[in-house]
Amino acid sequence: MSLLNNVLLTITGDMGGWELFKNSLLPMITGGIKYTVPLTLISFAVGLVLALLTAMMRLSNSRFLRAPAIAYVSAIRGTPMLVQLFIVFYGMPSLNITIDPFPSAIIAFSLNVGAYASEIIRASILSIPKGQWEAGYTVGMSHSTTLKRIILPQAARVSIPPLSNTFISLVKDTSLASLILVTELFRRAQEIAARTYDFMLIYVEAAILYWVICFLLSLVQEAIERRLSRYTAR
Amino acid sequence: MYLSIKGLSKSFGELEVLKDIDVSVEKGKVLTIMGPSGSGKTTLLRCLNALEEPTGGDFTFADGFSLDFGKKVSKQDWLRLRRKSGMVFQSYNLFPHKTALENVTEGPIVVQKRDKKQVQEMAERLLAKVGLKDKMHLYPHQLSGGQQQRVGIARALAIEPELMLFDEPTSALDPELIGEVLGVIKELANEGWTMVIVTHEVQFAEQVSDEVLFMDGGYIIEQGPPKQVLKEPKEKRTQQFLQRILNP
Repeated sequence: MSLLNNVLLTITGDMGGWELFKNSLLPMITGGIKYTVPLTLISFAVGLVLALLTAMMRLSNSRFLRAPAIAYVSAIRGTPMLVQLFIVFYGMPSLNITIDPFPSAIIAFSLNVGAYASEIIRASILSIPKGQWEAGYTVGMSHSTTLKRIILPQAARVSIPPLSNTFISLVKDTSLASLILVTELFRRAQEIAARTYDFMLIYVEAAILYWVICFLLSLVQEAIERRLSRYTAR
Repeated sequence: MYLSIKGLSKSFGELEVLKDIDVSVEKGKVLTIMGPSGSGKTTLLRCLNALEEPTGGDFTFADGFSLDFGKKVSKQDWLRLRRKSGMVFQSYNLFPHKTALENVTEGPIVVQKRDKKQVQEMAERLLAKVGLKDKMHLYPHQLSGGQQQRVGIARALAIEPELMLFDEPTSALDPELIGEVLGVIKELANEGWTMVIVTHEVQFAEQVSDEVLFMDGGYIIEQGPPKQVLKEPKEKRTQQFLQRILNP
């Protein structure tokens, strides 16, 4: 601890910095646990379901299914996430639909993940050789059974690295929710910084916390990848 | 007779791959299809398994089931056609995320909903039959090409088909591994399986077939017992093909 103290002393110039660092840790971590993490997990889960649905629509033979999926992906990818967030939170009330900050954020982030991840899932499904579909059919499986039992398990492995990217981006993007009044990690940091004027210390602290979360997540990613690749030649 | 095929045709857009094919598959007999690449032989085989949709013609099975491809074929009929046969692919197409045993049990358990324990025992018997009892818990990537193809054969047998189809089963194999796969197929022939085999192995075709079909350009050029078609072909194109294949 004394080494850390010394480092902080050089950054902050006095021991007050260290005290501030310690004191602001709890509110920030609380904000992280109460909002950042649930926001990330729920949005990602909902987003994945949307993504799978969208990917299946895009891969279907019917134009009426493909067209809305293409439009959805294009609209989400073509507009800033912050604008989407503002439309849901500040825009919807003019249509007499008022949504609280947290659910607003969930809606916006889920839609966002849904669009990006759908392209990842679609590409992963397309990367599985046609012969795998045919092998499924020849043992008597229907299209949907083949998809579920043969194609998706293989596509899952292919899609883990790019999906992890999306997930980690999402963790960091949740800081945008601070702008629609969700008191997540970064919002807490802003509140403390506004009170103490110690912007450098507080924002670096917030950065470190995000980094720690993302680092832990990348460990999880590695574990999942290892598990899913046990059946492939290295 | 097991299956009679009449006037079968198949086009991919403008390209006619099968033209007015008449052939019958005899019960308990081995029909071998040979011919240069692009002759339509694989397409013909895939039509039997509903992996390709014929553009015309009809199938009549001995059990009375028949399909007229000139009309719209219902989903149930496609499924019924497909479930009559087991397919062995040139590139094996094993499920890479399942062990050899799981590859074999997948169809019977998931699709046919048969008793898990009985299927397990049957799968072990089948894998023993193709000489892979000690490898049944390995994943495909841990097996050689010849071993993978033998798992492929066991997987096709497991769904208890009436008809076994082989699409160039040894074409992707190293020469020294071909024998083990052909050996298994010969054994099946001796057991009286009804089989249709697409192959380039002339010697094997001679030994195993009851009837040989030579195709070129989407037509059946010549048809008859192996001694006749492979030893004394009447048609010029058959002669040329065999010459090229036997004296490369």
